[in-house]
Formats: sequence, C-alpha cells, structure tokens
Amino acid sequence: MKKKLLIVDNEETILFALQRYFQRVGFEVDIARELEEAEALALHTRYDLVIADVALTTTGSTEGLEIIRHLRVTRSAARVIMLTAYGTPHMESEAYRRGADAFLHKPRPLAEIARVAEQLTGGFA
Amino acid sequence: MTPVLNRLRQPGAIRVEFQPIVRVHADHIEVYAYEALSRGPRGTSMERPAVMFEYARRKGVESTIDLLCIAEALVAATALPGRPLITLNVHGSTLAGVSDFTERVLSSAEAFGITPDRLMLEIVEHRTPWIAEAFRSTLDELRAAGVRIAVDDLGVGASNFQMVVDCQPDHVKIDRHVIKGCSRDPWRGAVLQSIVLLTKTCGATPIAEGVETVDDLETLLDLGIDVVQGWLYSPSKPAIELAKHPLAHSPIHRSMKGSCS
Repeated sequence: MKKKLLIVDNEETILFALQRYFQRVGFEVDIARELEEAEALALHTRYDLVIADVALTTTGSTEGLEIIRHLRVTRSAARVIMLTAYGTPHMESEAYRRGADAFLHKPRPLAEIARVAEQLTGGFA
Repeated sequence: MTPVLNRLRQPGAIRVEFQPIVRVHADHIEVYAYEALSRGPRGTSMERPAVMFEYARRKGVESTIDLLCIAEALVAATALPGRPLITLNVHGSTLAGVSDFTERVLSSAEAFGITPDRLMLEIVEHRTPWIAEAFRSTLDELRAAGVRIAVDDLGVGASNFQMVVDCQPDHVKIDRHVIKGCSRDPWRGAVLQSIVLLTKTCGATPIAEGVETVDDLETLLDLGIDVVQGWLYSPSKPAIELAKHPLAHSPIHRSMKGSCS
C-alpha cells in the first residue's frame, strides 16, 4: 500500500514541485494551500507524513505550526517536516516543542527533503 | 477571498449528483425523492464532500458553501426525471445566519420551475447552539411556503433530540451508523424502535440512510421504516444518468422478502 503524504504550502511552485517529486517516488499525495484545508484533510485521512510550510498566509506568519497541534490532538501518527524560509531559533524550538520531527530551512534541495522524509517514514516503498 | 473559496465560487466548480430515496411498497418500489449531493472540483481536496464541508466549518463559511451547493443543485435538478421531491442539505447555522435565506432559495427554485412543495431541506449541524430565534423564524417561513423539513444524520453529532425538538421536522433521516448492521445488533434495533415511536407520535416520516444489505432492509421494514436510501438501490449519479436509469440495482420489495437474503 502506498504511503500517504500531505503537503501544505501556499506557494504554488513549491507545492507542485514537492507533489510531483513525491508522487514519482511512490507516495499518494494530497495538497493543501490553507491551514483549514489541511486540517479538514487530516481529519479524514491517516497520513504517514506531513510536509508543511510554517508561513501559510503572509511572510513571517506561523499558522503552519498549528498543523502539528491539530495532528497531535487528533492522535495522528503522521511524522511532520516543517519548512520555512524565515525561520528563527525560537520558531524552530516551538515547532519541536509542538511535536515536529524535522525543521528545515528553505531553499532546500528536493533530494534533501526526500532523504529526511525517507528516514522518518522508514523508506518510500 | 481565500484561494480555495475562490475556486469553489467559479461557475460549475461544485458538481451535484443525486441519490434516489425510495419507498418500499408491498409489490414494488417508487422513487420518493432525490437527495442532492455536492462535490468540489475534480482533482482537488474539495472533491471529497466530507473535506469540503469540514473546510467550510473550520473557515466559518458554511453559509457561502451551502448557498453555492443549493444553487448548483437547483440547476442540476432540472434534468431529473418527472417532478420529484428534491432534498437539499443545509447547515442550521445558515438558516439562522442568512436573513433572506427563504427568499433566495425559493426565488432560485422558481427560476428553474421548481415549486416549494417539491423541496425538502435536510438540516445538519455540527455545532450548537445557533441563534434559535432566527433559526425557527426561517423554518417557519419555509414551512409556510410548503417546503418540507428534515433532520439529517439523526443519531450522530449534533443531530440529536434537541435538533428534533427545535426543528419539529416532517422527516428524520436516520444516520447510516445506526442502520448498518441493524439486522444483527439488538442495540441498533432498539434505537430504531425508539425513533419509529418518536416519529409516529409526532407525525414525521423516518428515512433510513445507508441501506446496503437485504438483511438490514428487512429489519427496517419489520420496524415500519419503508422509506430508505442507500447503495442497495442506487449510488448517487448525475441527474442525466438517473433520467435514463433511475435505479441501478434490481428492485427489492416486500413480496421478495425471504427470497433475497
């Protein structure tokens, strides 16, 4: 059975690049552009992995971190990778405190994100 | 306007299919109504109705989505065969919060040649309380115009006795969670008995949702619930397909009882 991945980002180019990459390596991929869309999807699907940008509306916003809380409250076992282009040490520690499994700064080569995803999910197959 | 909402507002973005609700008679079945079921654009997260309505609730745009779905349903319903009863889903919060709801729905329906007596509103809600006074006032307007009222998904979530008391519905739709497996579960049977008593006492008609097996159908018929909906008779389909083949599966009626299971 394919592993399920949810990608959350409001930047179309990043969203589609990640979507295509992870579909190619065998994930079943859903995408969301908004926090509420991601939460609604996560309520109805058991994801193995969630990759989410921290800022989903304006530069420097942090609503993406809410996804971690939602996943943990709903007892999701999904592993979580947070991405950010404007990360601070405080934001990073907050992400880990909420239950993120990885915190990566953008821009990041896709292969590197994939390597972390593979480690967290125990392989792509 | 958010990107998702913007996309849903594009003409034709919301697609509507209809699922027949049938009445099972002694020797035949008849289509009692068609329930309009809305879905978002293909290939998006909103394609799944549960996700679309969950998004709407979290974003606080239930009314916007409800009105879009109703508008699309009324357009799509023009292709249904005959002049059937059409059931439309709506949140309780929409009835309470959209002051001209009745006028909007009835004028849209009229534009497509659908009279109020052909409409039934299935009220669903996931949160309480809503503004009870405005809610009841809209219900009164709808009833006065001839629209029938149903409580949707009775037995789960906020579709509870408070909802029944507040709505005083013409129909109650019993959630599939109560129906599925009722033929072999005395607890489900007992819940159904209590609903039959409730509806009989108040003059409402119970409708069983999610009927998928002949065994469950037989149990429902034995209890006196003869208006049913589910895959046993037909999945949801575009109106144009229903016009060609109203019921996909073999008709199952009372005279076949005992020979189908």
